[in-house]
Amino acid sequence: MIKLHPWLIVLIRILLGIIFIYASYDKILDPGKFARDIANYHIIPMGFENLIALIIPWLELFIGIGLVAGLMVDGASMISGGLMALFILFIFQATLRGFNIECGCGLKEGEMVGWNKILENLVFLGASYLVWHRQQKLFELFPKTPLSD
Amino acid sequence: MSTKQQVKLIITVSVLVGLISNLVRSDAISWVAEPIKVVKNVNDVLLTLSEPEIREIDLGMAKSLHKKGLLFVDARAEEYLSDGMIPDAIANDDVGLLSEQIEYLIGYEKGFVIYCSDDDCGSSEELAYELQDFGYMNIFVFKGGWKSWTNAGLEIEIHD
Repeated sequence: MIKLHPWLIVLIRILLGIIFIYASYDKILDPGKFARDIANYHIIPMGFENLIALIIPWLELFIGIGLVAGLMVDGASMISGGLMALFILFIFQATLRGFNIECGCGLKEGEMVGWNKILENLVFLGASYLVWHRQQKLFELFPKTPLSD
Repeated sequence: MSTKQQVKLIITVSVLVGLISNLVRSDAISWVAEPIKVVKNVNDVLLTLSEPEIREIDLGMAKSLHKKGLLFVDARAEEYLSDGMIPDAIANDDVGLLSEQIEYLIGYEKGFVIYCSDDDCGSSEELAYELQDFGYMNIFVFKGGWKSWTNAGLEIEIHD
C-alpha cells in the first residue's frame, strides 16, 4: 500500500471536494437537463430519473462542502466513493452498448461517455478511497473525536 | 459520530433539500419523468398549438413530413455531418445561431423535426428543449434519426 504524506491527503480531499461542488452547480441550476442526461443512459426505470436528478446534485454539493471544510469527512468520502462506483457502472454500460451520449458529469459541457470518462472517475474513486482510508485527521472541523465504530 | 450516522445524515439532508428546492423553484420538474408523446397522424403535426410541445415521430412519419417540406434540424456534433445529412436539413453547433436560422426560415409557430444519430443519442431531445426555451412551439424529435434514415436507404445529402 502506497503511503502518502498526510498533508497530501488533505490536498487530495480539498481538490475532490472542489470538483464535487463544481460538478453540482449546473445540475442544481437545471435539474431538467440532468434528468434527460440520466434518461439517455436507458438504465433507470419508471421515470425515476427526475427524482434522482433532484437529489444527486445536492448530495454532490454537501459532500463537496464536507470534504473542503473538513466536515463529516468519513461519511462524505464514503458517499463520494459510492457515487463514483455508480457513475463508472453507468458510463461503462453505456460505452459497451455503444451509446453516443453526453456524460452529464457536470465538469465540462458536451463531454461524451467513453473510456476516458471511466478512467477519470476511477481516479476520483481512488482519491475517495485515499481520503476515507487516511491515517491522520488533519484540518477537520467535525467530528473531532475518534470514530466510535 | 460514526461513519454510518454521517452517511445517513448527509443523504437525508440532500434528499430533503433536493425535494424542497423543487417545490419552491419556478422551473420545477415533475417528480416522475413522463415519456414524450408520440405523433401518429400527419394532421396533428400541422395544427397550430397554443402551448409549446415536444413530440416524438418515427421513421414513417419523418418520411411523410420530409416530403411535405418540413424543416429538419441535425443535432449531431459537427464531426459526424461529413457522413451526410438528411436532404435540406440544417445544423449549427451554436444553438443561438441555429435558432436565428430557424426563425428566419419558418418562424416560431411552424413545426420542425430534430434528429441525431440513432435511438439512443439523446442530443435531439436535448436540442429540442433548448430550442423550446427560445420560444419554438412545435418541435418533433425523430426517434431513430440518422441511423434509421440511412438503414431505410433514403436519400441523403453530402456537403463538402
